[in-house]
Amino acid sequence: MKLAPVDYVILALYFAFVLGIGWRLRKRISSSGDFLMSGRSVPVWITSLAFIAANLGAVELIGMAASGAKYGIMTAHFYWLGAIPAMLFMGIFMMPFYYGSKARSVPEYLKMRFDEKTRAFNAFSFAVMTIFSSGISMYALGLLLHLVLGWSFDVSVLASAAIVLAYTFLGGLTSAIYNEVLQFLLIVMGFAPLAILSVSKAGGWQGMVSRLPPNMTHAWSYMGSPTENPMGVEIFGMVAGLGFVLSFGYWCTNFLVVQRAMAADSMSAARRTPLIGTLPKMFLPFIVIMPGIAALVLSKMNLGYAFPLKATGGPDYDQALTTLMAQFYPAGLLGVGMTGLMASFMSGMAGNVTAFNTVFTYDIYQSYIRPGAPDRHYLTVGRVTTVVGVLLSIAAAYLATRYNNIMDLLQLVFGCVNAPLFATFLLGMFWKRTTAHGAFSGLTLGTLAAVLTLSSTTAEGKGGWIANLYTFPSQMAQNFWIAIVAFTTCLVISLAVSMFTTPRTDKDMEGLVYGLTKVPHDATAKWYQRPAPLTVIVVILLLILNIWFR
Amino acid sequence: MDLRVPSGWFFTLVGLILIGMGLFAPHAYAAPLTTDNVNLYTGACMLVFGLFLLLMAWRATQRGTGSNP
Repeated sequence: MKLAPVDYVILALYFAFVLGIGWRLRKRISSSGDFLMSGRSVPVWITSLAFIAANLGAVELIGMAASGAKYGIMTAHFYWLGAIPAMLFMGIFMMPFYYGSKARSVPEYLKMRFDEKTRAFNAFSFAVMTIFSSGISMYALGLLLHLVLGWSFDVSVLASAAIVLAYTFLGGLTSAIYNEVLQFLLIVMGFAPLAILSVSKAGGWQGMVSRLPPNMTHAWSYMGSPTENPMGVEIFGMVAGLGFVLSFGYWCTNFLVVQRAMAADSMSAARRTPLIGTLPKMFLPFIVIMPGIAALVLSKMNLGYAFPLKATGGPDYDQALTTLMAQFYPAGLLGVGMTGLMASFMSGMAGNVTAFNTVFTYDIYQSYIRPGAPDRHYLTVGRVTTVVGVLLSIAAAYLATRYNNIMDLLQLVFGCVNAPLFATFLLGMFWKRTTAHGAFSGLTLGTLAAVLTLSSTTAEGKGGWIANLYTFPSQMAQNFWIAIVAFTTCLVISLAVSMFTTPRTDKDMEGLVYGLTKVPHDATAKWYQRPAPLTVIVVILLLILNIWFR
Repeated sequence: MDLRVPSGWFFTLVGLILIGMGLFAPHAYAAPLTTDNVNLYTGACMLVFGLFLLLMAWRATQRGTGSNP
C-alpha cells in the first residue's frame, strides 16, 4: 500500500490541528490541578466521548477487527457484555463516591477510604500498567506502519510519541481530552465508510451469515461448551470473567477512564459521563468489528482479495483492517483512514500518559518523595513526569517487540492487576465494615492468586511456568478464569480479615461509603439529564442488540 | 476554547479535500474492490458534519453560552 500526496496533506492537516489545540489550551494551565485534572471544568459531551476514546487505542482498533475475523460476532461481547453494564454501574453507583470524595485520583480515593499501603500498591501497579499499555500500543502502531506503508519502525514510533508529548505537555489533561474527542470523531468518520463498503460487498449481514459457519455469526447461541465456539469459552467464564470481573475491574476502577469523568464540571455531569458514553460505545462494534468479519467473507468470495498471511504461514489477523482499507479506499479516503489509525494510537497513548503523570505526581511524588511543597512545584513535576512517561513508553514499546500477541498480553496484565481491584472497591464502597488491613491483604493476595493461576495452568502452549495443573481450551478462557480466581480470592480474604480487624468510625468515612454519603437526586433536572431514564434507554437498546445477534 | 470550532474546521477542510478528489480525480488510484466514488460521498458527509459543528458553535456564541476558558 502506498500513500498519495493528498493522503500526506490530510495527515499533516490533522497533526496541525492536534498541536494547535494543545497550543491554544496552554494558557489555561496555572496550577497542578489545571494540568492534571483539567480544573474540573470540561463539558459533559466532551468528557463522555473522551471516556470511550481514551480506551479506543490502536491496539483496540486493530485488535477488534482481528478478533472479528478470528472469532466472529462474539467479539462484540467486549462491548455489549464487557463494557456497557460496567459503565452504567460506574455512573449510577460509583461516581458519587469518586467525585464527591474530592479525591484527585483512584489511588487517592483508596487512601481516603482505607490507608496509605493500599494506595501505594494501587498507585505503583497502575503506573507500571499504563506505561506498558502505552508501550504496547506504540509497538503495534510502529509494526503496522512498517508492514503496511514500509515506514521505519523507529521513525513512526518516535514521531508519533513526540506529537503526543507536545500536546499533552502544553495543555495537560484538557488538551488530551479535547484531542481525544477530535480523534474519536475522526476514527468514526474514517472507518464507518470501510464498514459500510466491506459489509455491503460481502452481501450485507444476511450474505455474511450465509457464507460463514453459524458459530461466527451468533454471539450467544454456541456458548454451551468451549468446543462449540471459536473463542473456546463457555458461558459462565464469559459472563463472570469478562462481563463481571474484567469489565467492572477496568471500567469502574481504572483511573485512565475514571479520570475523564472526574474532569467533568459537576457531579451530575460526572455521573452522566459514562452513561452517555455507552450510547456511542454500543454501536462501535459495527465500525471496528464488522470489517474484520467482512474481510473473512470477502476472502472466500473469489473477488481477488486474499486474507493476509504471516511469514510463517497462518492467517495474519492483525492485518485484516489495513488490507481491507487498501481494497476499498482510494487516495484521499485512504489518508483519512490512516490518519484515523494514527489518531486512535494517539488517543490511547495520551490517555495513558495523562493518567500516569497524575498518579505519579499526586500519589507517588507528593505522598512519598516530597510532600508539602508549593503547588507550583507539583505543576513542574507533572510536566517533567509527562516527558518521563513518554520516554518509558518508548522503552516499553521496544520491550514489546519480543512478544507477538499484544491483545492477549494486555488481557493478562489487566487480569493480574485489575481483577482483584474491583472486589476491593465493591467492598470499600458498599460495606462500611471493610477495614484497611482487609482491603490490603485481599488486594495483594488476589493479585498473587492471579499470577499463581497463570503460572500453574496452560492455554495454547502458554503459561504454566511452575506447573501444569489444568489446560484451558483457549487463552481467552484462561484470562477470564484467572480474573475470576483473583476476584474471588480478594473478596474472601478481604471479608475474612475485615471481620477480625477494627473498622473506622462512621464519621471518618462520610462521603466515601454507601449509606454514609448523600447521593444527589437531580429532581429538578430535565428527564434526559437524569441517570435513571438514560439507563433505561441504554438497557433497552442493549437487549435489542443482543437478541438480534444472539 | 469551544472544541466545536477546531473540530468543525477540521472536518470542513478534510471534507472539501475529499470532494475535490471525488470531482476532479475520481479514477486516480482507484480502489480494487469498489467502483463507487467513495471520496465524494464521504467528503460530502464530512463537510455537512463540519459545518454543523461550526453552526452549533456560532449559535452558542450568539446566545453567550460558548464555553470559553
